[in-house]
Amino acid sequence: MTAPPLARGLLGAGDPSLAAHRAAHGPLPAVPDLAVLAGDLTGRGGAGFPVARKLRGVAEAARAAGTPAVVVGNGGEGEPAAAKDAVLLDRSPHLVLDGLALAARAVGADTVVLAAGRRSLPGLQRAVAERGAPVRLVELTDRFLAGEETALVAAVDGGPPLPRGRAVPVWRRGVQGRPTLVHNVETLARLALLARGGPATTSTLVTRHVPGRHGPVVDVAEVPLTARLGDVLALGDAQAVLVGGYHGSWVPARAAAGLTLTRDGLAPAGAALGAGVLAALPADRCGLRETSAVVSYLAAESAGQCGPCLNGLPRAAAGLELLARPGPHPPGLLADVHRWAGLVVGRGACAHPDGSVRLVTSALRVFADELAAHAAGRCTATSHAPFLPVPAGAR
Amino acid sequence: MDVLTDGGFLWYLNRATGLVVLALMTLTIVLGVLVHRQVALPGLPRWGTVGLHRGAGLVSAVLLVVHVVSAVVDGYVRISWLDAVLPFVAGYEPFWVGWGTLAVDLAAVVVLTSLLRGRLPLRAWRAVHLTSYALWPLALAHGLGAGTDLGSGWLLGGVVACAVAVAIASGVALAGRRRARPPLERAPDALAQARAALASGRPAAAVRNR
Repeated sequence: MTAPPLARGLLGAGDPSLAAHRAAHGPLPAVPDLAVLAGDLTGRGGAGFPVARKLRGVAEAARAAGTPAVVVGNGGEGEPAAAKDAVLLDRSPHLVLDGLALAARAVGADTVVLAAGRRSLPGLQRAVAERGAPVRLVELTDRFLAGEETALVAAVDGGPPLPRGRAVPVWRRGVQGRPTLVHNVETLARLALLARGGPATTSTLVTRHVPGRHGPVVDVAEVPLTARLGDVLALGDAQAVLVGGYHGSWVPARAAAGLTLTRDGLAPAGAALGAGVLAALPADRCGLRETSAVVSYLAAESAGQCGPCLNGLPRAAAGLELLARPGPHPPGLLADVHRWAGLVVGRGACAHPDGSVRLVTSALRVFADELAAHAAGRCTATSHAPFLPVPAGAR
Repeated sequence: MDVLTDGGFLWYLNRATGLVVLALMTLTIVLGVLVHRQVALPGLPRWGTVGLHRGAGLVSAVLLVVHVVSAVVDGYVRISWLDAVLPFVAGYEPFWVGWGTLAVDLAAVVVLTSLLRGRLPLRAWRAVHLTSYALWPLALAHGLGAGTDLGSGWLLGGVVACAVAVAIASGVALAGRRRARPPLERAPDALAQARAALASGRPAAAVRNR
């Protein structure tokens, strides 16, 4: 993975040391009111929640409960297609740690946790040791749902990483039952840049997937939110773009090129930036086949707690597997997949079913021509080499 | 008023409600296990099982109140209002009435926590609800010891049938709990089942989330 050298940007120049961090960004100034400073910054973990509201909510909940809050940096990037959080932690761990320190001060937290995947931990251990910061590092499993807010809190508390539902939000009762502020690591790094007067709210990290001569080329870049998607991602002969990742949606390449990455810019296409994944599916692949592999992986990654998800996603995935193969399909199969997808929306403890069927329905919409071709017994793809990354076993 | 305060009426009312409560508690426990095992009764959607369990439990609670009130109001035996809540201090058969009092206390807590279920932590509700398994034997012991009807005749047959039903239901609940797979292992199985079902054209069976 390569990233453009932006010395003052989020990804730095590639030297993760504290000395390089201080040379590039200077000391962390005191911030009188972080919520005011955050302004219209939105979370970069996928949900896009306004940062200022979360900061105020946790601070108030902690005051009301009379206990110090907990701050958790969420580096749990379970999404196989996303790499931006891991790259950020690798290259600029001190920006994230700065953000954690700012957030902890703002909400009155006495416990600071940074949770990340196994591969990110050695670098983080070095960074934490360099500054002597009292930050607890927690290793997350490789599961898709490891970064889901409530599953993350469960993992930090030492339990199995299972979503627990949103009846009591984590900003009221999270880690150890205390008000807990969970921010994606990119969000935290943006706070650290904002504190130094940088224009951090107007750009975003994206993980890009484009076809290359030896398979897909994946990189992470910091791009302006107002940029057109066609300028950010080399569309080439792409037929469709996956926007947002595996809980995101497909957009036809022609419609995608002119979209900007802001919330309002993507909304008309039924898309959202989500986990910051942008993938340009080349014309020689089968969109249904690619989606089917991802959806089967997502179905198997269900936490197995909620009936609609545990029963609905596997049916939709198995149905999509059949539709992804050319040949006569059982009558009514397409209608069944639509029905199963519709039945799970809003009925999980977390957004896993909603996000997974969003991908399914967008694929059935965008690859409608391919569906018709498959029903007629042929597939228009000339290459069956996998494009979207799916962990071994699911494909 | 004669008919209400007449010892004979209260005595019959007390015996009758005692018998019906035992039968209804048995039904409630069996239905509760069916709810836990997510069984759909013939002709009913799955939430129908929950409704029946709840209804049987509530009716048995109301009849339990009648049972207790009739015992206290009846002047023939010396059972006071205090005996209705504090076990083993009754003036009549303190030992056997005491089991019943214990069962009443437990039932009150189980019903109250269930009515407040939405406002309680799920774990607290579940812990209290599990004491229902102790409630039933207490009630049975009370019925056999303090009651005058259960020891013989066709009612004895009914009691044995109730006991067998509760024993089987408890066994099913325990076995189900032991067989339950960890949450994270369920989804891959469900996917394999859905694939097999679609390949064979049969509808996929429901996968349990507990």
